[in-house]
Amino acid sequence: MTRVSSWPAGIWLSAGVAVAFLAAFLIDSPYVAGLLAYALVLGMFALGLGVTLGQMGYVTFGHAAFFGLGAYAAALVSTKFGLNFWLMAFLAPLPGAALGILVGFASARLGGAYFAIATLTTAEILRLIAANWIDLTRGPMGVLVTAPPLPWQTAFGWGQQQSYLFLLILVVTLLLVGLRNLQRSPLGRAWVAVREAPDLAESLGIPTVRARVSNIAISGGIAALAGALLVPKIFVVTPDLLGVSYSATGLLATIMGGKASLLGPLLGGFAFAVLPESLRFVDAARLAIFAVILLLVVRLMPGGIVSLLPGFRRNAPAPAFGQHKLPALLRPDLPAPGTDVLAVRGLQKSFSGLKATDDVSFTVRAGELVGLIGPNGAGKTTCFNLLSGFTRPDAGDVLCLGRSIVGLAPHQVASHGMVRSFQQAAICPTLTVYENALIATHRAAPEPFLSALLRLPACRRREDERRLRAEACLGAMDLLARADELASALPYGDQKLLAIAMALAAQPKILLLDEPAAGLNQVEATALAKVLGDLRRAGLTIVVVDHNLKMMMALCDRIVVLHHGAKIAEGTPETVRNDAAVVQAYFGVASPEAVAS
Amino acid sequence: MDIVFQQIANGLSVGMGYALVALGLSLIFGVLHVINFAHGETFMIGGLVTLIATSLLGVPYLLALPIAGVAGALLGFAINHLAVQPLLQRRDGGADVLLATFAVSILIHQAVVVLWGPAPARIDGLAGTIEIGSVVLTSQRLFVLAVGIAFLVALEWCLKRTRFGTELRAVAQSQFAARVVGIEVDRVNLRTFVIAAVIAGVGGGLLSPVILYSSLMGQVVIIKAFVVVVIGGMGSIVGAVVCGLLVGLLESMLSLVTSEGTATAIIYSLLLAVLLVRPYGLAGKKAR
Repeated sequence: MTRVSSWPAGIWLSAGVAVAFLAAFLIDSPYVAGLLAYALVLGMFALGLGVTLGQMGYVTFGHAAFFGLGAYAAALVSTKFGLNFWLMAFLAPLPGAALGILVGFASARLGGAYFAIATLTTAEILRLIAANWIDLTRGPMGVLVTAPPLPWQTAFGWGQQQSYLFLLILVVTLLLVGLRNLQRSPLGRAWVAVREAPDLAESLGIPTVRARVSNIAISGGIAALAGALLVPKIFVVTPDLLGVSYSATGLLATIMGGKASLLGPLLGGFAFAVLPESLRFVDAARLAIFAVILLLVVRLMPGGIVSLLPGFRRNAPAPAFGQHKLPALLRPDLPAPGTDVLAVRGLQKSFSGLKATDDVSFTVRAGELVGLIGPNGAGKTTCFNLLSGFTRPDAGDVLCLGRSIVGLAPHQVASHGMVRSFQQAAICPTLTVYENALIATHRAAPEPFLSALLRLPACRRREDERRLRAEACLGAMDLLARADELASALPYGDQKLLAIAMALAAQPKILLLDEPAAGLNQVEATALAKVLGDLRRAGLTIVVVDHNLKMMMALCDRIVVLHHGAKIAEGTPETVRNDAAVVQAYFGVASPEAVAS
Repeated sequence: MDIVFQQIANGLSVGMGYALVALGLSLIFGVLHVINFAHGETFMIGGLVTLIATSLLGVPYLLALPIAGVAGALLGFAINHLAVQPLLQRRDGGADVLLATFAVSILIHQAVVVLWGPAPARIDGLAGTIEIGSVVLTSQRLFVLAVGIAFLVALEWCLKRTRFGTELRAVAQSQFAARVVGIEVDRVNLRTFVIAAVIAGVGGGLLSPVILYSSLMGQVVIIKAFVVVVIGGMGSIVGAVVCGLLVGLLESMLSLVTSEGTATAIIYSLLLAVLLVRPYGLAGKKAR
């Protein structure tokens, strides 16, 4: 049985057009048609809000800023310049997206709390402007707008409300298809990755700030379109459109319906268009009732109404594996063995006086497997953070593949060819193993926005490429059999292997692994050592931090030893094992035999 | 020129109100890493309780303030148990707490509007005025500043010198590590929340004779407090107080040259400007 959500876009579009015609022909009552249209506008608003809240997990208290801006922009431009209102309504997403970029860039770098505050204040600023700039907006009196009849009103002899409803059904259908396409593209997956594990996303080469800003811009654009399309129903654009009650309505509709899906916000929008009509008798307590519903949904049913529907499942199943020839696991353009690929020069970092990395220098050549060891607190992870761009060094330089990477963002370092893993298995816990791997292919086959939105043939081809790459990487870690399981349900050892599979899917030339064997039992550690050995033989350059000295001694070509942030020894496992300073650092006594056991 | 000095004095006392709310927001964010959207309503309830105590029950104003503080504490306790503590352990706890406290703030506001009414009301604070040169200050405004400073000093002492303060700073740095060394994190969280609520409750009692009690005062003050917290650096207590006073000052200066709506819009715009230029606040550093 095919699941509804996997129907191709063509079916959705034809269904939308059919429903639009049926509705316009069959609904006699202008009141019902108008109410449905209002429901669709609210649904569209909630859909836009859901892009930010549901996909990326950012709460907004001021989405009316975008909603009202769209309404004002379309109304003001069309009345001041005598332009066709409908045309202007469809340009309303532009100012909405621009505001989204501004607010997003101001706040989203810092996280969800700041975004919530920034949207709230932005909506208040715009409301104050709309209420006080009387010359432009006529203040509380509002801007009067008359929308001309739509072309199909005369062509089919429909009523005004019916033609308006027809338009809205078409627009919502297009939005649904477009958003669904984006969800299934690298961009949509990047939003989810930002929500689930932002550092992991960065480390895989996903530009997280750009992903957040693009998400907010799209969300703002849709909300602005909804606002503009509300105007023909209300005739007068007033500062109320920018007020808290619209922000709250959009938020509640999205959460009540179900923020994680596309259907949920639409359902919520319908509920909110119809409920106030039936709640008229308790008008005074309406807001309070909404608040109680919100509190109950957040506490008891975070998935919203859609989570109650039968067959609702958020995680799409993986496709059948083994049907196509898989791409090579490693990229073809690996640097020639023996050339210097990573040169660390005099790296320094202090945290409030504590020297975490003290003048560390070493070189890694292509095809080498280099170990970085040292007692707890030696500065190994700090060193990785400096190499991968998560921490900026106080002094020193890192030359990676012939270019200094100091000052680059982590995703730029990853794009440059050096990808890291994390000490605690970093995965997206609410996604399946396969979806995790798919996220990691973001960088390997980039997708232009328009191609993703329209799901052009080129996009599908690249999507196939990404699928096969994900399959190849999971296969290399022997995880294909568990592809449909939630990543958080995997045993810890497999989570760590998944993290490595994801790093590989980002197509590194140099792989930095932070304690890949920590938390693994002996069997798992042996399997890991074999995987790393295979990768090295295939030509990948690997730098490993780990405490499992037995594994490291057996595995590494060369070992660098850190102690109190400084390098105290470097050489083959044999040399390091017998180095007096190393033994002293680990045991405080000079007993070479003890190190290896 | 006199009017400028007069406005400085007025701005500082109103700013102290923003500071007292921002202080609690910042404290809660620093320790629990969540935003309590209902914090402004605690401020409003403090004002309402003071109003009821003084005008209906005939309690003297100075005695009504501790009652407002107790009301704030009870409300803080309730909010913590209803909308914060049960959600903290969730994966997206921060977002859920934000939503739940938003719902609670609407509930509190609506409950007050329905049960008490929306009408603003005057509260008589301390009587009398003090003249410094040509500037006339009501005793109430001076009292607001004095109590605000006392709160700040007491809080600083509590954070730096008491066992609870040490525990609180430990939880702020790392909940996990604090739990490992045997600190009861939930209890520290609750106490932090209640302390913040007491300050907001008393703040509402202090400010409502100055700015007029209104059921909307919580919604107005919370946005200003957000501006203050962002400019001062989220989690910084001194930053919250200094920037609270500065925002109050700026607001009263702007009111000399422009309308109230424009002044408010300018102050709100500061938030966006600071976020764009100095994301971690004027004093703050990148935390965590």
